[in-house]
Amino acid sequence: MIKTAIKSLFAHKIRFILTAVAIVLGVSLVAGTFIFTDTINAQFDDLLDDIYAGIDVSVRADAGDFGASTEPFPAEVLGSVLAVDGVDVAEGGVASISIQVLDKSGDPIGGQGPPTLGFSWGEVPSLSPMRIKDGGGLPPSGPGEVMLDANTVDNAGFVLGDEVTVIGFLGPEEFELVGIGSFGDQDSLLGATLVLFELEEARRVFGFGDEFSGISVQAVADVDADELTERISLVLPSGVEAVTGETEQDEQAADINEGLSFLSIGLLSFAGVSVFVGAFIIQNTFRIVVAQRTRELALLRAIGATGRQIRVMVIVEALFIGLVGSVAGIAFGFVMALAIRGLMNAGGFGVPADALVLLPRTLVVSMLVGLGLTLLSSLLPARKASRIPPVAAMREDAARTPRRSLRTRAIAGTAITGLGVLLLAVGLFASVGRAIIFVAAGAAIAFIGVSVLAPLAAKPLADVIGWPLPRLFGISGLLAKENTKRKPRRTASTASALMVGVALVAFFSVFGASTKASISDTVFELFPADLTFQSENQNDPELPAAISPAFAVDLETYDELSVVSAMQFGRVVIDGDQQFLGAVDPSTINQVFALQPNGDAVSALSQPGSMIVASGFLEKNGWKVGDIVTTEFAHSGEVEMSVVGTFEADEFSNIYVSTETFKANYQYVGDGLVFANARDGVGVAAAQEAISPTVDAFGNVKAQTKSEIVDELETQIDQALALFTGLLLFAVIIAILGITNTLTLSIYERTREIGLLRAVGMVRRQVRRMIRWEAVIIATFGAILGVGLGIVLGWAVVKALEEEGFGAFSIPVGQVVLALFLAALAGVLAAIWPARKAARMNILDAISTE
Amino acid sequence: MTTTTKYAARLDNGIKTYGEGESAVHALNGATAEFERGHFTAIMGPSGSGKSTLLHCIAGLDSLTSGSAYIGDVDLSSLKDRDLTLLRRERIGFVFQAFNLVPSLSAEENILLPLSIGGKKPDEDWYGQILDTVGLRDRLKHLPAELSGGEQQRVAAARALVSQPEIIFADEPSGNLDSKAGAELLAFMRRAVKEFGQTIVMVTHDPNTAAYADRIIFLEDGKTVDEMYDPTPDSVLDRLKSLGG
Ligand SMILES: Nc1ncnc2c1ncn2[C@@H]1O[C@H](COP(=O)(O)OP(=O)(O)O)[C@@H](O)[C@H]1O
Ligand SMILES: [Mg+2]
Repeated sequence: MIKTAIKSLFAHKIRFILTAVAIVLGVSLVAGTFIFTDTINAQFDDLLDDIYAGIDVSVRADAGDFGASTEPFPAEVLGSVLAVDGVDVAEGGVASISIQVLDKSGDPIGGQGPPTLGFSWGEVPSLSPMRIKDGGGLPPSGPGEVMLDANTVDNAGFVLGDEVTVIGFLGPEEFELVGIGSFGDQDSLLGATLVLFELEEARRVFGFGDEFSGISVQAVADVDADELTERISLVLPSGVEAVTGETEQDEQAADINEGLSFLSIGLLSFAGVSVFVGAFIIQNTFRIVVAQRTRELALLRAIGATGRQIRVMVIVEALFIGLVGSVAGIAFGFVMALAIRGLMNAGGFGVPADALVLLPRTLVVSMLVGLGLTLLSSLLPARKASRIPPVAAMREDAARTPRRSLRTRAIAGTAITGLGVLLLAVGLFASVGRAIIFVAAGAAIAFIGVSVLAPLAAKPLADVIGWPLPRLFGISGLLAKENTKRKPRRTASTASALMVGVALVAFFSVFGASTKASISDTVFELFPADLTFQSENQNDPELPAAISPAFAVDLETYDELSVVSAMQFGRVVIDGDQQFLGAVDPSTINQVFALQPNGDAVSALSQPGSMIVASGFLEKNGWKVGDIVTTEFAHSGEVEMSVVGTFEADEFSNIYVSTETFKANYQYVGDGLVFANARDGVGVAAAQEAISPTVDAFGNVKAQTKSEIVDELETQIDQALALFTGLLLFAVIIAILGITNTLTLSIYERTREIGLLRAVGMVRRQVRRMIRWEAVIIATFGAILGVGLGIVLGWAVVKALEEEGFGAFSIPVGQVVLALFLAALAGVLAAIWPARKAARMNILDAISTE
Repeated sequence: MTTTTKYAARLDNGIKTYGEGESAVHALNGATAEFERGHFTAIMGPSGSGKSTLLHCIAGLDSLTSGSAYIGDVDLSSLKDRDLTLLRRERIGFVFQAFNLVPSLSAEENILLPLSIGGKKPDEDWYGQILDTVGLRDRLKHLPAELSGGEQQRVAAARALVSQPEIIFADEPSGNLDSKAGAELLAFMRRAVKEFGQTIVMVTHDPNTAAYADRIIFLEDGKTVDEMYDPTPDSVLDRLKSLGG
């Protein structure tokens, strides 16, 4: 039996290959994602090994719930540490992420790509991974000297002795490039820009006092790291802690892992869509194949095979394809990983071209996905195959199982769709944990439901879509249209695969368009300021990078500006949960930023140690104005803050304090946002012109008017849309392969018919045209379903987010039309191969009567 | 009609070999035959004697290994696929044993197929005559699946006639029909020859069927071995016996 199964597979190579390709693509995305992130993880692990090779103990600020911290602590701690018995060497250093290097033309290096990291140069080689490259000058040894990593030096075209502009706490300054460094033996730390100064100079540039942000300790030969950590802990003042180097390395590894898991979850979601689409294709293929093999299977039944044996045979065939597809998918996953790496590097990340890492987990998951996908997809067709009656071997029409009635289909489809919509609604509207799972499952079930309903729409829609074809292409057009109506279920199922990808693209487009539609209102409402300044850097994905404090001070000197107001951002922990916190200048904020305070909440902020809270957040926590809330800061520890008022504009943060309070509780490194208004009588453009020397000097600060902010946000939305669409392209490609697959199988089925058409005089071009338009109808059908579903989903989500400021549901008509057009084009592409095959079909096959 | 020759089709020393070397089968082994205009010719012979092969080669569905086949005075071997297809579309009609019709098209659409493929409209008079002769006016909107086997074959015959081809080839057209339906079909084909002057070449192995023709060509082992004019079932049977013996 199993031999029969495998033989039949090889007898139909093309069908085999096309089915396998759907699996290969889905699996390769899964495998590629794992391979890529595992490889990066391994690279980071190597890096961390380098960094921590000589560090037995690390002394740092005790940041409580914030985990590892770079908050500064008093420098005198070093003396106490050095005095501990068992310490061989110890060195303190400072670090900052609020630092920016400008290239020769005054533009910031790094931009939105990898971050810029500032360090003090460590004198003890065993405690620091930084090295001077051969011929790379000397380490920085005093004021005015800087060292950069070799990768940055190369990219920016610097040479030793160049004057390099670095913007730190005190604003832009010139430094002489005295050293070119490497990180371990790498020229770069994954593309980050590394800036090093001599310790005292680093403190000045980073805005530190007589402080360290960390002390690294090496133990004498026979003292164990744990033991030494304990001994050091005993001499540390409160607020400073000692951990083993290993602990800190593990913490960092866990952080990196978490950051990467964000990426891998994102990629895996898209891989999941592709696999889902693949399941449609594979199921459809098996179904068609079973139908085509009716006679053969019935013969097997007639000579004594049981229904069970037939079922097992079909499933074994499926599993074999799944096996081959999965193995090929894993192999192709390497290509995928290289492609992702290439994309990352094109985006400015210096991911080294190390050997790719294949973990056993990748193999297991990929095989499970590939085999599970095929197994599940083959169950229904296998069942159908097992029900073919033996007499079908003799009589062709005996195999026609009574069609499930339209009513049953309509009811089942509606029920499934309803279930999907229900789950979707729960995820969107009810506040449940892990809402995203509800949304994803709901969408998937809704897709299945619609695909069950789709055959009902296949005939009428094919008539509508295909309406012009007979008029335009005569008999080829008519036949194309009729052919798609012949097996509505097959047409619908093929189209449904495309529907999924198109629906998601349409959904994102609708979501994007609706966001754009409300963005302008939101921005104009929220930012009354004429000009908003922010850093072009992105060190922390959640908070704006700091602008040097010197910038706002400089702006104050311009007469053309009436108000300059800065905002800072940070994190706090309240009741064990991390929150964002914003800081404002109570005397000016109302002129530049619409907090929508209730009563005189903003002026109440002037009292030290007070905060105001978004009214929704206040309610959620069960607080009242006048309450005292214990708030934990990384820098100052637990502080009793009093709630002095409420506000409504919770777009950025649920909690605001005054800048003064902020400075008392954070290591103040700069401003997150700076706002300014032009003085009355001075136009915004004129003011912008006037302050350009300052803006230009701070190369990483960009000045934006309200409409420029809107433009930028819109561009970002477009970019995100393009990215999502790009990732969904895979699902669409799989769906197009599905159309190719279905057509190829249908043509095989219609050998006689096509031969007949050729015999009575249809030229090859007409045959090709017939197949092509058939594909176009299927593709357009899928796209119409997809666009419809995508718009409905988009509408639901926009409605769900109405309170968040999404008022305007908007359909991007242009994009929708484009999507339909591209889908039709995809149909043309999908048909190329089957059309050629059909046109080349041997006429004699048509009329041989067996 | 674009040709002046007496014959609508001609096969000259046709050889058709399938396979190579040891396993080569000479389906046609020097067959020669002429088909006069306005005649109804039957090709008879035992199973495997090369009847279908001969038909395919002379109808431009397959190519000869050597020798020549002509439709009118056009040597088929000189034509490329496209011209061959156009020639079939314009000058040849077909009736096969089964699977003659496109299942998704109605009877009428099937009849008009050769014309619509070429983007042509039917000659109304001619079309009406065919419909009257074939007697299917009330079934025109039906799909093939809704027609009986005999009706399906008559639709196929009507389709073969509709483009007024120079010659119609039929391979066992009544092979799948019961005797009544078969007789109706053959009577219709015969009328097409008598009333419209149509040329028909039909392959059959059944003496009763062959007796509808004006002339029979006998085939054996890929060669034409005999012929006979104005056959009757009995005379055909006799001849077959003498040949077989
Ligand atoms: N495609 C083919 N390949 C190999 N042999 C063939 C093929 N078609 C026909 N034959 C052989 O050629 C001979 C003549 O076949 P055919 O013309 O179909 O005979 P008939 O129609 O008289 O029964 C037979 O022996 C048959 O087996
Ligand atoms: Mg035959």
